[in-house]
Amino acid sequence: MSVALPIPGFPGRILAVTLPAGPGGTPVTVGGQNALPLLPEGEHPNAPAVGMEVPTGPLELPPALAEAIGPFAGDPVAMARKCAGDWGARFLFLSLSGCHPDAGGQSVSFGAAVVREVLSATPAPVIVGGCGDEEVDARLFPAVAEAAGRPVFLSYAEEKNHRLVAGAALAYGHGVVSWSPIDINMAKQMNLLLADLGFPPDRVLIDPLTGGLGYGMEYTFSIVERIRLAGLSGDAALARPVLCHLGDAWKAREATDPSEGTWGDVGARGPRWEETTGLACLAAGADLVVCRHPSSVARLSGAAWR
Amino acid sequence: MHEPLFSACLRGAAAVLALARTTLADAADRRGNNAPLAYPDTAYELPVAFGLTDLRVATLGDAGKVLDLAETLVRRGATAENALDAGAATLLAADVLGALSHEKGNPYPPPAVGFVPDSTLRKLGIYLVDGSVPGVAVVVGKATDPAAAAGMVRQFQEIGLLVFLAGDVVAQLDAQGVKLGEDFKTFPLGPLPAVIHAVNFAVRAGLTFGGIGRGQGAAMLSYLGTRVKAFVCALGPLDDVALAIAAGAMKAGLTVLSDQPVPEIPGLLLSRPAGDEMVRAGMEARGIKVKMVKVPIPIAFGPAFEGERIRKADTHIEFGGGRSVAWELVRSAPTEEVTDREIVVDGPDLRGLPAGSVLPLGIVVRVAGARMQRDFESVLERRIHRIVNYGEGTMHVAQRDTTWIRVSTEAVGKGFSLSDLGLMLYAKLHADFENIVDKVAVSITTRLEDVQAGLAWARAAYAERDARARTLTDDAVSEFYSCTLCQSFAPNHVCIVSPERLGLCGAINWLDGKAGFEITPTGPNQPVQKGAVLDAVKGSFDGVNAFVRENSRNTVTGMNLYSIMESPMTSCGCFECVLAVIPEANGVMAVNREFTGPETPCGMGFSTLAGSVGGGVQTPGFMGVGKHYLLSRKFLGAEGGLARVVWMTREMKEYLGPLLRERATEIGMPDLVDQIADETVAVTPDALVEHLVKVGHPALKLPPLL
Repeated sequence: MSVALPIPGFPGRILAVTLPAGPGGTPVTVGGQNALPLLPEGEHPNAPAVGMEVPTGPLELPPALAEAIGPFAGDPVAMARKCAGDWGARFLFLSLSGCHPDAGGQSVSFGAAVVREVLSATPAPVIVGGCGDEEVDARLFPAVAEAAGRPVFLSYAEEKNHRLVAGAALAYGHGVVSWSPIDINMAKQMNLLLADLGFPPDRVLIDPLTGGLGYGMEYTFSIVERIRLAGLSGDAALARPVLCHLGDAWKAREATDPSEGTWGDVGARGPRWEETTGLACLAAGADLVVCRHPSSVARLSGAAWR
Repeated sequence: MHEPLFSACLRGAAAVLALARTTLADAADRRGNNAPLAYPDTAYELPVAFGLTDLRVATLGDAGKVLDLAETLVRRGATAENALDAGAATLLAADVLGALSHEKGNPYPPPAVGFVPDSTLRKLGIYLVDGSVPGVAVVVGKATDPAAAAGMVRQFQEIGLLVFLAGDVVAQLDAQGVKLGEDFKTFPLGPLPAVIHAVNFAVRAGLTFGGIGRGQGAAMLSYLGTRVKAFVCALGPLDDVALAIAAGAMKAGLTVLSDQPVPEIPGLLLSRPAGDEMVRAGMEARGIKVKMVKVPIPIAFGPAFEGERIRKADTHIEFGGGRSVAWELVRSAPTEEVTDREIVVDGPDLRGLPAGSVLPLGIVVRVAGARMQRDFESVLERRIHRIVNYGEGTMHVAQRDTTWIRVSTEAVGKGFSLSDLGLMLYAKLHADFENIVDKVAVSITTRLEDVQAGLAWARAAYAERDARARTLTDDAVSEFYSCTLCQSFAPNHVCIVSPERLGLCGAINWLDGKAGFEITPTGPNQPVQKGAVLDAVKGSFDGVNAFVRENSRNTVTGMNLYSIMESPMTSCGCFECVLAVIPEANGVMAVNREFTGPETPCGMGFSTLAGSVGGGVQTPGFMGVGKHYLLSRKFLGAEGGLARVVWMTREMKEYLGPLLRERATEIGMPDLVDQIADETVAVTPDALVEHLVKVGHPALKLPPLL
């Protein structure tokens, strides 16, 4: 006797979003699914994509990262090539952290020039992150939007600055990452606000703020899961691909502190910490993850099977 | 009376069309029909044709088709509709002329810039979207008084508007030393016909920033009318051609202001003298608001000072608080009766008064706005409390005619005056209620006879408002409001705020919810249709159930607004007090957040109880509520109402005071308040029951709770 399995179906579908590539590059398309991740049912036309962060400005790296990416400090162009090449990142998250006044304060025009150079050095899809200083970012985003010779995503638009970031993206045909602080209602409101500005929905990614393992990851897990369930249940404003930036994993002492001998090799702990955080995000439903250690790219790509 | 005006528009359109025809024909003779036609540096061909029609224009021949189409828009008959369509035709033809004139680049001598390229549009457009450029002013014609025109444009620059100039006014302003150029967001386009470059700039803004595609004419006109906050200042006599262009602007929903005695068309064509009045009328007609970035007062101002207390010894002057008559009132008024930023102080001000002075005080805030409602007056008025407390050195207690304000010696020493107080109210009410309030005026009086006279008036207003509040009942309204502000930490909690059940935090009542929705339509306060009444006593509504189900993401499938036992409302964690059932006493107890005692008759103190109530789950028998809910006619309707309350902390009894007695009297139990036990009477169920039996508490006779 055969028993029909009660397979739940969802009325909604996550909007497919494409991160465009330069000539000769491979664009990244995510979203398009109508089911939860890692389950056999439903359609999953696009596997999650794993990308790498390319930092700028002076870096204070924990041991594991110092060994892996330390040689590229101060040379984002070389690092971008390496990430998209040997290390297998499907897209790059170019962080203009070097423009932050507390991190050396590279000028806005310098930041814009870095974007231009990286974009011409590799055809990989690029998300450009601001420096996090409100005043600098208000000048940085318009400058980056103008400097970028091909479409990128600007990260991130939040409630306070969304008009400026969206305006800059609209002016030059870029996408935006819409950010909210682990708050599903704010995530939804951000997308409604962007829609109200006439921003095309297929150029928006949700960044729900990612806590590292042991430092808030479970909140992120729950929020990503709820955003996804809401989207699949038919809430169009939340039916968008989710991006998780794993950088927070590298703030955990467990990932970076060499002084705890009993915890094992710090050179292995860091990447493990990042991978674990990333695996949780993928299980929750993340469509894009950004990591810092090259070994995470391979590991997470292996897990990102649907 | 508009007929001559409309006729002039039709004549003007015909003239521009004829000129475009001959100019185009000349060019075609010279260069051939297939010669290219385009503006320099734009992706939008001839932008007006791109935005309003589906004609592709690459050659001179294509431009002929645009003119053919334009001609069909110029019809006989001096009607408003025909005049506006003729205006659209004029813009199409003028854009053809504009492009023809740019065959070899900008045809005009400096400082005129001609066509504004896409690169500039992109750069400036960001700030239009962002709101840091609040609007666009197009100044055309020839000023009769160049100095006044210069003053007006300088005012636009100060406000941060994007300014386009066309006509003789360019040379006039240049001679007046007005700074022109991209750095000043002021573009001298050229002679009068060059005004088309302001129009094609606006159209390209819609194409670039509005997500509007080629030929979506209706969407484009709506974008220009609602999103591009632009107005036209037409200086000097208007000829047929100028009127035809003006009609085109009006077709796109822009307001045209003329300094000539034109017959007005409300919202579209106004006659105002050049200068302040024209600036104000233009900004008002297009809803352009100027944000005050920093409030220019001599003391620090912000939430950091909200908790500051000013002690007697530090007080330089005080108002009210029982020592003098003081009151505050917010009134809404028609927009023509309120002059924005008018701050009037009548009577003695702070400076020069000896320390320790006491003065009477009357504060009237008048507000106007297209979306302002009389119901929001109380919402704005309660904000006065917080705004005054934001000042470093100003303190505010209570409200209405019990208000009490202190100003510190330090603040007075820094030069703080009552007009600064007015400015604080002005700036913050604008900022906090941006979507509701367009104009704010404050008048403050410290003259005793005026304060006394005003008091009666203010009390009448309070009484009127209270009377209105009494008519606002759950049965009378068709929608409630949600509050999901707390979902960040209680993910599935949904507060339903009704007229007779305020939010459990005590901070949001139904009117706040209503105002909150007007202020942020995408925010946490959304209207909730009651829908069909499933059970009036328990407070079960199918609309509420559907809303709660959806917004708790299917975890709470139904909710009874007036019951603690059956599907009660969930709690986030912010509740002012907790209600808990005491089975032995057949009643409920109420304990407020401030109560620090370890024991209550249910065996738990507030913090232990709070832990079992919050988090967005339904726990029958336990519920977090706002204190004032106890006074509601809908309080625990399903379980018998106020008569169920058997125990309440002394602090809460005092807080609710006479209102609680009033409500007890209303339900025919005048002795109830004294029959309710408190922590001095009983902290165990046994002692409680013993007390209830002794005093004959009505709960014992109610149907069993369990």
